[in-house]
Amino acid sequence: MPATAGQPQMPAMLRFYFAHERAILGGLMVVLFLIAWEGLERGWWARLLHPLLGASAERWQLKPIFISSPTLVAQAAFRMFFVTGEIWRDLAWSGIGYVLGLALAIVVGIPLGLAAGWYRRFSYAVEPLLAALNATPQVAFLPLLVIWVGTGIGTRVLIIFLLAVLPLAINAHAAVRTTDPRLIRVAASFSASDWRLFRTIILPSAIPFLLAGLRLAVGRGMIGVVVGEIYGSAAGIGAMISQAGSRFQTDKVFVGVLTIVAIGVTLVEIVRRIERSVDVWRPPS
Amino acid sequence: MAIPAHGEHAGYGQRRRSAPARLYLAHERLVIGGGTLVALLLAWEAVGRSGLVDPLFLPSPTRIAQAGWGLSSDRDFWNDLQVSGREFILGYGVAVAVAIPLGLAVGLSKRLQYMLSPFVDTLNAVPRVTLLPLIVIWFGIGIWSKVMVVFLGAVIPILINTQAGVKTSEARFIRVARSFSASKIKIFSSIILPGTVPFIFTGLKYGAGRALLGVVVGELYASTAGLGHMIAEAGNTFQTDVVFFGVLIFMATGLVVVAFLDAFERRFEKWRPDLH
Repeated sequence: MPATAGQPQMPAMLRFYFAHERAILGGLMVVLFLIAWEGLERGWWARLLHPLLGASAERWQLKPIFISSPTLVAQAAFRMFFVTGEIWRDLAWSGIGYVLGLALAIVVGIPLGLAAGWYRRFSYAVEPLLAALNATPQVAFLPLLVIWVGTGIGTRVLIIFLLAVLPLAINAHAAVRTTDPRLIRVAASFSASDWRLFRTIILPSAIPFLLAGLRLAVGRGMIGVVVGEIYGSAAGIGAMISQAGSRFQTDKVFVGVLTIVAIGVTLVEIVRRIERSVDVWRPPS
Repeated sequence: MAIPAHGEHAGYGQRRRSAPARLYLAHERLVIGGGTLVALLLAWEAVGRSGLVDPLFLPSPTRIAQAGWGLSSDRDFWNDLQVSGREFILGYGVAVAVAIPLGLAVGLSKRLQYMLSPFVDTLNAVPRVTLLPLIVIWFGIGIWSKVMVVFLGAVIPILINTQAGVKTSEARFIRVARSFSASKIKIFSSIILPGTVPFIFTGLKYGAGRALLGVVVGELYASTAGLGHMIAEAGNTFQTDVVFFGVLIFMATGLVVVAFLDAFERRFEKWRPDLH
């Protein structure tokens, strides 16, 4: 921490605080938030405010179906993960659709973007379509997809694909475009073939862009999972959240949301790690 | 997000060509792009007219246009449009009004950032539409649940980008200003804020996309009116042409909002010297 650098000796407590300021302040806010939330459900604040506000203090106690509470959510999570195990089935169901949709997006989006970056005329042809599709909230296609492929796994895979494919294609396109033209000119003047040019110059310099696109696609795909399932699906984590919501099982909704948070953070972190490990060889510019 | 244009000039340094060829080469981008679009529409129309595909399944462009024409005299349609517009403007407006000042504050104060980052990072990791079932429990199925989803969708990208913009302010400039004993307000207004503007616009564009997404998903999930509601209803009754028309409106809205923000950004960035 630069805050302590070069300063005269401080008491140990203060030094500890400055060394871990981030964790302490962040943790403190989270704990305060959890206590405030728990208190709303258990009526701590209603009782505390009663002498001040009288009968209207009742408003500071909320029903569990309305906001649940950290302990209720923890109990529900324990039940769903380890007692009934019901959430594993939903996760597997969602996971299949997610993997298929994302894989399809990678297989289509990256070659499409690379081709558009490499062939000028091809890019003229597809750019308007990509730009229009990118400006559309792709989830608006859901009712159409349901008409076309029914409410089965096809619709879910396709909506995940639609959301994830654009960042991949656009980043792949930009990646080829921003390749250092000097390198290409040098290689071309040594009469390198197109394939060699692509493999040894364009692809290596495109990798960071492709991975950044993948990171965006991973997040967009999660939107697809949730939206595809809340719109019409019998199983899956999004369907579970939506059904629990319509039955006012607020604790289960929170368990689902937090599970998605955990998965999202993990996936994005994995892509970040790959990004960093791939970038190691690159000389700092 | 528009795709960056080509740097090269078609036909540069070439020998004389016939007039039509020169015209084509000068506007190649437009010709190929427009040509592809027209060809697609014609093929689509041909497939629709040939009777090979049920119009309930894939209505032809002319049918979609007719559906649009029919809707324009439908009072419900204008009401839907108004409801969706209100949701978007309210949610996005509040998000902008909250996220930019908060992002600046979080970028300037390390402690504030430490305090808020657990919440912002968590919200950033989850597609905010996941919170819809909760938001509907809290705000009902009227306009306010949608305003909330739009707000949550837009506020996070704007906040994060604004904060990142402040963080990446050129440290050298700040040091120079300090050594000339500029006041904190002066440093903020003449170095940090101008440096942050491009980041804010990136956030605004992302946020607009997320806000539109919120309108659609919120209305598909639970609503009594709105364009998303119209699309969902039309989908359930196999009025595929109406669905298409609704999707087109969303597409047009997205394009207009992005174009508007781009134009606004150019206005703001005019003073910046071109470094390339």
